[in-house]
Amino acid sequence: MSTGVATAEQPAAVPPARGQHLTERAKSERRLAAMLVGPAAIVMVLVTAYPILDAVILSLQRSDLRFPNATKFIGLSNYGHVLSAPVWWQDVLHTAIITVISVGIQLVLGMLLALAMHRAIFGRGAVRAIALVPYGIVAVVAAYSWQYAWSLNSGWIPKLLGLTSDPLSHQFTTYVAIIITEIWKNTPFMALLLLAGLALVPDELHEAARVDGATTWQRFWRITVPLMKPAILVALLFRTLDAFRIFDTIYIFNQGAQGTESISMLNYSTLLNRLNLGLGSAVSVLLFLLVALIAFVFIKGFGAGAAPGAEAR
Amino acid sequence: MFGVALAALILASCGSSGKGPATLNWYVFPEPSGSFATAAANCSKASGGKYQIKINLLSTASDQQRVSLVRRLAAGDSSIDILAMDVDWTAEFATAKWIRPWPAAMAAQETNGDLAGPIATATWRGQLYAGPINSNTELLWYRKDLVPNPPKTWDEMITDAIALAKQGKPHYIEEQGAQYEGLVVWFNSLVDSAGGQIVTSDNKVVVGPSTKLAASLMHRLATSPAADPSLNTDKEDDARVSFEKGTAAFEINYPFVWPAAAKAGIQSKMGYALFPTVTPGTDPKVSIGGYNLAVSAYSKHPQEAFDAITCLTQPANQVRDAIKGGLAPVSASIYDEPSIAQQYPFHALLKAQIQHYGIRPTTPAYADVSLAIQKALSPTSSIQPNTVVTTLRDEIKKALSSGALL
Amino acid sequence: MSQRAKQRSGWSAALVVVVIASLVPVVWIVMLSLKTPTTVTDGSFIPHQWTLSNYKDIFNAGVFTSALRNSIGIALISTALAVLLASAAAYAIARLDFPGKRIILAVSLAVAMFPQVSLVGPLYNLWRQIGLYDTWPGLIIPYMTFALPLSIYTLSAFFREIPWELEQAAQVDGATPAQAFRKVIAPLATPGIATTFIIVFIICWNDFIFAISLTSTTKAETVPAAIALFPGVSQFTQPIGDIAAAAVVVTVPVMLLVILFQRRIVAGLTAGAVKG
Repeated sequence: MSTGVATAEQPAAVPPARGQHLTERAKSERRLAAMLVGPAAIVMVLVTAYPILDAVILSLQRSDLRFPNATKFIGLSNYGHVLSAPVWWQDVLHTAIITVISVGIQLVLGMLLALAMHRAIFGRGAVRAIALVPYGIVAVVAAYSWQYAWSLNSGWIPKLLGLTSDPLSHQFTTYVAIIITEIWKNTPFMALLLLAGLALVPDELHEAARVDGATTWQRFWRITVPLMKPAILVALLFRTLDAFRIFDTIYIFNQGAQGTESISMLNYSTLLNRLNLGLGSAVSVLLFLLVALIAFVFIKGFGAGAAPGAEAR
Repeated sequence: MFGVALAALILASCGSSGKGPATLNWYVFPEPSGSFATAAANCSKASGGKYQIKINLLSTASDQQRVSLVRRLAAGDSSIDILAMDVDWTAEFATAKWIRPWPAAMAAQETNGDLAGPIATATWRGQLYAGPINSNTELLWYRKDLVPNPPKTWDEMITDAIALAKQGKPHYIEEQGAQYEGLVVWFNSLVDSAGGQIVTSDNKVVVGPSTKLAASLMHRLATSPAADPSLNTDKEDDARVSFEKGTAAFEINYPFVWPAAAKAGIQSKMGYALFPTVTPGTDPKVSIGGYNLAVSAYSKHPQEAFDAITCLTQPANQVRDAIKGGLAPVSASIYDEPSIAQQYPFHALLKAQIQHYGIRPTTPAYADVSLAIQKALSPTSSIQPNTVVTTLRDEIKKALSSGALL
Repeated sequence: MSQRAKQRSGWSAALVVVVIASLVPVVWIVMLSLKTPTTVTDGSFIPHQWTLSNYKDIFNAGVFTSALRNSIGIALISTALAVLLASAAAYAIARLDFPGKRIILAVSLAVAMFPQVSLVGPLYNLWRQIGLYDTWPGLIIPYMTFALPLSIYTLSAFFREIPWELEQAAQVDGATPAQAFRKVIAPLATPGIATTFIIVFIICWNDFIFAISLTSTTKAETVPAAIALFPGVSQFTQPIGDIAAAAVVVTVPVMLLVILFQRRIVAGLTAGAVKG
């Protein structure tokens, strides 16, 4: 069983020729592989590594497109501005709140949905397709739909709940609205990731446990969850990183008002509204490091076999 | 203004490249009535083959328009010739050298007969940078059937609204309280009306007692029964919708609500008055809106662009912009034309407010200052009147340095 | 009620909940798009007055049609390029033995985890200097890049399932390598490639952050970015009906893809995610 999102390596069709003396055949195979893999690898590295290096360089400068003549090297002072600003830490907190709550609920709902899909309880085609609709829908559209739904002026939710106060005027209810949007949009994808893990749980184990008198609940916790642990961790890792980058929903809802500004939102407005590329790049680099830290914790800390290229066993 | 003749004159003296008319790309907010399109076509025709104006639409929201323009200008994009700048961008665009100063010979002509407010917004450090095309100012709209005499001050208005609330009648005061530029307009109008200022002409923060008064008023409204429950998310159009729905007694908004009220069938109930002031007995100083047309520093046809702006801002075009498109004119005499008076029964109020104007802080770091004010004052119900002055002073100071995270 | 029956009714209830929860926001935006300007803010779920005028508006305003053209063109080209590059890479990963295999997978994983907003600033800065700002390539390049990891995983999972021996068998039977590829391998690989194409297309079609950061006019603005650009009746009027109509139009193609190809999408995404 393999665990990684990284498709595990299987024995290749051609037996590997290891050692220092490569056969002609192995050499030509390597050349072919380089030609085939090269373009994709080069594109990925160029389009991500070059800009992130550029971001690092920019972050060490006073570089503001509104004041082109003031550009100069200022060392780490942009980082000082960011880390000493209360707004940075508030936004880290906002982002963390949204991430933890929305991903936690997505995990529970996604697991239920995956179990239902796995047992094909949902009439094979139509219902499963409908369950996937939120996954396919454009994020901006989802955000608009939910925002209009919650708006006191135009929405059906305040009407349904009989609210007289505007839910999007208050921090708590705005978080509720944003988190529900995230959950709605992303639970199907979470379910798909978990479904892949469920497929790896052998039915015979369940049958054997059932014969031994284990309840559904016991079988879920003792058999399904442990066997699915790697898949769960991978799903959590991906969903967490994605939720941590939350931007579209907040941008459409309120651009970060009502104390909902996320790190991505802050980053965007510093870079592209204020055009302060230096300061904004410092935020970019810090966000990048935070994401890398989260990935590291998941991969190393939880020992999730999520490491790239995890070996098949 | 005698733009066409002038244009012809200047063009004749420059000579043309002989490759047919120069295409002038005009980047402007969407003007749905088609009045700008008519003006562009007429001016192109009148130029006698010197230029052809092509309209390029920007977003509806002003901050989004700025973002689109600024990103292109910072990219040195030569495909923009004429840009419609919201009145609060002049200092920023001029300092970054994205727009050309108005040629001295043409400057006086361009603003001849314009009201003082629009001219001030198009000027930075004594130099004219743009030709005003339209102005705007917020009036007080109220329900005539509920309010016999419109309030003169914010105090009176809040008191009236609370009294209406006690009688169980519609009583909300509609304002723009969302965290965006409209909040700054509200705040700045109150500060100016209280006799204060936020940033001086030499880029210093001068928040003081009038700032505290303004912020306290906002807080008082937000926490009183007079506040619409959606105040913290309301923009101009939300205010209009709420007023049309009949839950409000007062509304602070731009004149676009007037024709809309006719469509919604409530115009007969709607009265209008001067924006309420802060200090009794004084005139309000309302932060004016509107747009100015500037020539991009990267335009390949600057001379033609200046001529085109002169033509686009002619009184004849302003009249049509006002009547068809609902855009308040910048030229003083237009307000007295019968056609305008008929369409805008409140024209004298508009003219008075644009003449006795307030403007938002003029500073190259305006985007930062605006953001700092928005964040310090939003949500208005959470303003701490005792500490808000300190917070504003610190945040605006940081914003003026343009190097701090906001 | 027996245990089984109880369980079944429980699942049926869950089924109803899932269907309602999935569809309500979609139906709501459709309903909004069918309301008249005067009733659009009435808060009722079902319109009191029905109209198609919002759809007429957006197709008459040049802004939306050009955005639709940009969206379709940019998403198709990005997807095609990503699938092309990823197919080559996935073939190598599935069939060949070479030392860089782990590295390419690690790079893909890192790119998949990358916070895209971190790239927006430097990409804007670079694009404005080399003239790619507000152009199709300016969006195609990042779209293609961020579509590559998923494409590579999905495709290499599919390619592993292909019985490549058949190719050799066909050659033994006298087919040229080209024939063997065309007649035997291509038909086997097509479903996987098509599935990947659909999944990647959805990703490119949905992007918002690059679209609003790297474009500014009808030249390259895609629909998600352009929705905010719709003109209202006046400078301040929010065209809720038009936004809703545009949202519906941009949602229909992906809805169709998802509903028609749901089985493939599920297979593709689960294969790309975990495959033993």
